[in-house]
Formats: sequence, structure tokens, C-alpha cells
Amino acid sequence: MTAFILNMPPVAKLTDEQFYQLCQANRDLRLEMTAQGELIIMPPTGGETGKRNSDINLDLALWNRQNKLGIVFDSSTGFILPNGAKRSPDAAWIPTDKWDALTSEQKQKFLPLCPDFVIELRSPTDKLKTLQDKMQEYIENGTRLGWLINPQDKQVEIYRQDREVEVLNSPNSLSGENVLPGFILNLELIW
Amino acid sequence: MTGFVLNMPPVAKLTDEQFYQLCQANRDLRFERNETGDLIIMSPTGGETSNRNGRLIQQLFNWSDRDNTGIAFDSSGGFKLPNNADRSPDAAWIPLDKWNALTLEQKQKFLPLCPDFIIELRSPSDSLKTLQDKMQEYMENGTRLGWLINPQDKQVEIYRQDREVEVLNFPNSLSGENVLPRFILNLEFIW
Repeated sequence: MTAFILNMPPVAKLTDEQFYQLCQANRDLRLEMTAQGELIIMPPTGGETGKRNSDINLDLALWNRQNKLGIVFDSSTGFILPNGAKRSPDAAWIPTDKWDALTSEQKQKFLPLCPDFVIELRSPTDKLKTLQDKMQEYIENGTRLGWLINPQDKQVEIYRQDREVEVLNSPNSLSGENVLPGFILNLELIW
Repeated sequence: MTGFVLNMPPVAKLTDEQFYQLCQANRDLRFERNETGDLIIMSPTGGETSNRNGRLIQQLFNWSDRDNTGIAFDSSGGFKLPNNADRSPDAAWIPLDKWNALTLEQKQKFLPLCPDFIIELRSPSDSLKTLQDKMQEYMENGTRLGWLINPQDKQVEIYRQDREVEVLNFPNSLSGENVLPRFILNLEFIW
């Protein structure tokens, strides 16, 4: 099943709190909201995508635990971006100082910030264009490094600040560059 | 028809006006609400179901034009039932006096009444149980005659007030009984 996009008319626009409560009431769905307030409703992922996502998260979390530079988030975490969009990347990372600057209440709800690093993993029903637009939005909102991992086409698109998107064909691994120093994601498990 | 049920938490419950505007802003989707206000979002139907539905509507409207004692509705009509659910049966009919009792504004929006007659047509992705529950809800809210047409199993379930559901196997036609006098629905085009 593919995603539904609901245009929310002005009289029915959801506040941040309403959106948060809506997500809590629908834990079996994945919900996002665009900067214009459209509600995006996505089904749970299939097994293959879930496995890939889990492998990627494990590698990122292991690197993070050894290096202790920040906080890793899984795909169930919501972020409220500076442009007002509410997004849930498949994996995300922020440096420790950004985490520490949040109040305890902020930490418990969708985080009011844009992750420094995000991964979007394409599932069989995801449109590439939709994910590319999402990556562009992350970069415009402050993400420093973003990976769009596309198993169908065995490609990875790398998004960086002030640089053209770089497309890699069937890479064996990806480097965290200066954002996640020393992190190497092995992609053998993904292809 | 595939779809999602969005559980609406108390803080995000839609008013009738918000629900109506949401439907207007998303004309390519079909919406219903159950009695507790949860939002049911459905995709447009496939071609086969749409054609079958057109055949049903065609016959109902032709009869209604001749009979001239009521008003028929196609599958895009919304009804606010006495139990507060908002439903869109695949076809519906109400007697003229109920129509004439509505204000002009009521006629332009979802009708605040339960149709006397409704048809639900099962599409390949509809769960039978969901439709049976919906039929039961119509009966509890005042529908006098309801047909659940199930092409997959070549069956029709007939719902009447204070009677057990009658199941017909592969009927050639259905009678409107005392609710739609002299209406005979030919099912040749449906099977």
C-alpha cells in the first residue's frame, strides 16, 4: 500500500500538539506533515525494508556508542524542522550539545530541530522523487550530511551543504566524512 | 479499495464542518468516520468496481425517475447518521418528504439523516466483515432495506428491519419490496 497525502484545509490544520497526539493514537502508521500542513500517512514497511533499516541503524548506533559524540534516532522518531515540516527519517543523528540544550519536555516529544545527519532508505513503494525532495528539504533546514539509499537501483545519493548531490553506483561503503568522524557504513548487507 | 483508519485522539477530533472541508480538499479520496469520530480514508475504486457501481446507480436512478417518490444518491454522497458516523454508501435513496424537510444548506452538505435504502458493493480489497458491520450500523440507524452485493462470492445479503439477514446465492435480480415499490435490480451486469 502506498502513502496517502491529505490536503488539510485551513479550518482543519493540525497544531503541533494535535499532530503529536494523532501519531500517538496511530502507532501502527507512520505519519509526517509537510511544511504546508499536508498530512502524509504511510503504512508500516515490509520485512525486507525493515531488515535493511535495522542493519543500518545497528551500525550507526555501534559507531555512536564507541565515539560518544551524539545521539542516534531510529525511524520512529519525529522531528519538527525549522520550516514547520514534521519528518521521520529512517535514521538520524545529532551532536550531544544539541541534545543537552533541549528541555526534558522537548526530549519526550517530537524534537524541535533538524538532524545533522539523516538516512532515507527507499522501500519498493517509495517514489524516488518524493525522497529526493525530502532530502533537499533536510539540507535546506540544516542537515549537514544526508544519504538516500536506493536498493532498487543500487545507488546512493549523497547530500551535503552547498554541494551538488553526488550519486554513487553500488558503493561498498559510505564515509561519515567530517559529520560522523570515522563512521563507515558497510553496504554489503544492503545490496 | 485500500485504505487507512486514522484513530482521532480527543484533541484532534474533527468538527462536522472540518470533516466536510477535509473531504472537499481531497476530492480524489473517499472518507468516512465511524461513530467515535475515527477517520477512514479510502482510495478511489478500481475500474471493475466502478463499472459495476455505475450499473447499479443507472438502474436505481432510472427507477427513481419513473417512480418520482424520492431522491437517489450515488457513491459520492455523504450521510451523517444518528449515531454520529459519517458514511458514503455506494447507492442510497430517501423519500421525498425527508428531502423536502431539509434546509437548502443541509442539502448542500452531508445529509443529516440515515437513508431508507442503501447498497454496499464489495470491491476486491474490501473485507466482508467490515461491510457487514457497516450494513448492521445502517439498520440500527434506521435504514429499512439494505443490499450487500458481493461479486467475489456471487452472493447478496439482504438486510431488513427486525429480520435476520437473508443470504441469496447468485440471484438474477433483487426486489425493492415495499421500500422501493416495483424496483427490480437486474444483476446480470454484476456477476
